[in-house]
Amino acid sequence: MMDYSYFQVSEQSLEVEFPEQINVEENKLIQNIARELIDQDAVGVTGVIPAYHTLTVNFDFDLTSFKDLVDQIDEIIVNSNELTNTGRSIIELPVCYCPKFGPDLEDVAEFASVSVEELIKLHSGTDYFIYMMGFLPGFAYMGSVPERIAMPRLEVPRKSIAPGSVGIAGAQTGMYPVESPGGWRLIGRTPVKLYDPARPQLKYRSGDYIRFVPIDEAEYQRIQKLDAAGEYSLNVIKEGDVDHG
Amino acid sequence: MANFVRVIQPGLSTTVQDLGRPSHQIEGFPESGAMDKFSYKLANLLVNNHRNSASLEFVSTGPTLRFGCDSFIALTGGKVNATLNGQPILQNEVVEVVAGSILKVGPVTEGNYGYLAFSNGGVITQPVLDSRSTTLRTQMGGLDGRALETGDTIPIRDSVVMPSLTSRKIYIKHELITEIHFVKGLQWDLFSQKALQQFQSETYQISEQMDRMGYRLNGQKLDVPEKSLLSEGTVFGNIQITRDGSPIALLADRQTTGGYPVIGTIIRADLNRFVQMKQGQQFKFVMTDMDTAVEKLVQQQKIINDTFEKWYAGRYVEPIGPIRRDAIKIARLIRANK
Repeated sequence: MMDYSYFQVSEQSLEVEFPEQINVEENKLIQNIARELIDQDAVGVTGVIPAYHTLTVNFDFDLTSFKDLVDQIDEIIVNSNELTNTGRSIIELPVCYCPKFGPDLEDVAEFASVSVEELIKLHSGTDYFIYMMGFLPGFAYMGSVPERIAMPRLEVPRKSIAPGSVGIAGAQTGMYPVESPGGWRLIGRTPVKLYDPARPQLKYRSGDYIRFVPIDEAEYQRIQKLDAAGEYSLNVIKEGDVDHG
Repeated sequence: MANFVRVIQPGLSTTVQDLGRPSHQIEGFPESGAMDKFSYKLANLLVNNHRNSASLEFVSTGPTLRFGCDSFIALTGGKVNATLNGQPILQNEVVEVVAGSILKVGPVTEGNYGYLAFSNGGVITQPVLDSRSTTLRTQMGGLDGRALETGDTIPIRDSVVMPSLTSRKIYIKHELITEIHFVKGLQWDLFSQKALQQFQSETYQISEQMDRMGYRLNGQKLDVPEKSLLSEGTVFGNIQITRDGSPIALLADRQTTGGYPVIGTIIRADLNRFVQMKQGQQFKFVMTDMDTAVEKLVQQQKIINDTFEKWYAGRYVEPIGPIRRDAIKIARLIRANK
């Protein structure tokens, strides 16, 4: 059993804190507690925010209390063995890795002492776990990239990064869903619109995996057109329940 | 009859707000919702709405609106000198409005944020992710995710009767506050004794960097813990200490996660007054405990609950007078003959 503790942040919010680390197993437990509170429609819970090693729970104190929630979450954690093996969703995201869309592609290859082709293979050959969502709508905090290509962020951030840009910042990788300033090393871009204010529902959530699929520029243009017309959907691979034996 | 109000002057940044979308913070969407939740709820209460009905929130300068239908309105929050068809109207009480009227809210002379609630369910724009609240940064909710503009039409429902109309008023004392209470934050122990003492003795000032995301505070810089932190979920009222040692209070449109150490959290009962502090206003942070914070919030909510119960007890009881349906008909006839 993992060590954890509770902290009441305000009259109507608490935080469950696990050991401070970036760890997939620990984070999966946090995601599962969050999902369980939502699925159970836990009385008085108004919103939850899973992060790397913490879970923030907001509640209505007219309907529940810090103490009641502590008991409820304890029980979820006790039963968590059954929760942690519930399979996984891998979302395939097409990315055009080229200098036009990834101005730092060659620098990262040089940093890793590999060819651009090998860099693409390394970056797209790993499934990335989404630890949490935040910062911008649709921004996923993901890890971890192979150590060799984990280049630190730029010394001076760019003033503007195009939406869909895919970058590396140390062990983290991710996509910029909307135009934004930022210091990540950009290696490619996805043609898929990751955040659309007119249709704000997101295509992935914390606890999912992202798999980058390399595409060429012609395919990029094709998908972009389909996506703009609302005729493109991402491929989602569901890996079934793990056998409990 | 057209059921809307038309925007003649939008004000500085007037947005549709309700209690926000807390359940979508898990996806990284800011909670949003009214900044001053007490005044927001009070406005809804005055016009007999549900506590989560959407209202207009204005900041610094309120809008000028023309009514396309009959309504009852209430103005709460920051102090304004509003007029209806040129005649001054009072805040914190229900005001009857007939179609064609022009409401001019004007500048906010005390505080920052004001609320305008409309009877019969408030502003009825299309909810986005379970809320009508506008989040400007993500262009979501309200009117196409933006602030009001001249010529906009805001959908509301027509209404001609209001139970206990004449007693729907409340006296709200405006007092200058110089102390803001907080409870210890999760990273309290990471700060040096010197920094913690300084935080509680320093006179802070609201800086010019203040918006719906947060208020940055001016004061002597604190020593910052060297430990770098993983990002955690944020809460309305968290006081983060940024890398340069100055505090920032996280408010309605804050990012859902943050990586700066949280030294404390402003208690809910004081947050309503905190968000109404103007740039340059000075105050001190005073520590309190969770039990006191809860008790103060209960007392504050009691004002709203007691008022509602008083009106409810004094309401129009059906068997004595004409039934409600007839009352509406009569009201319309009288209105038509005016």
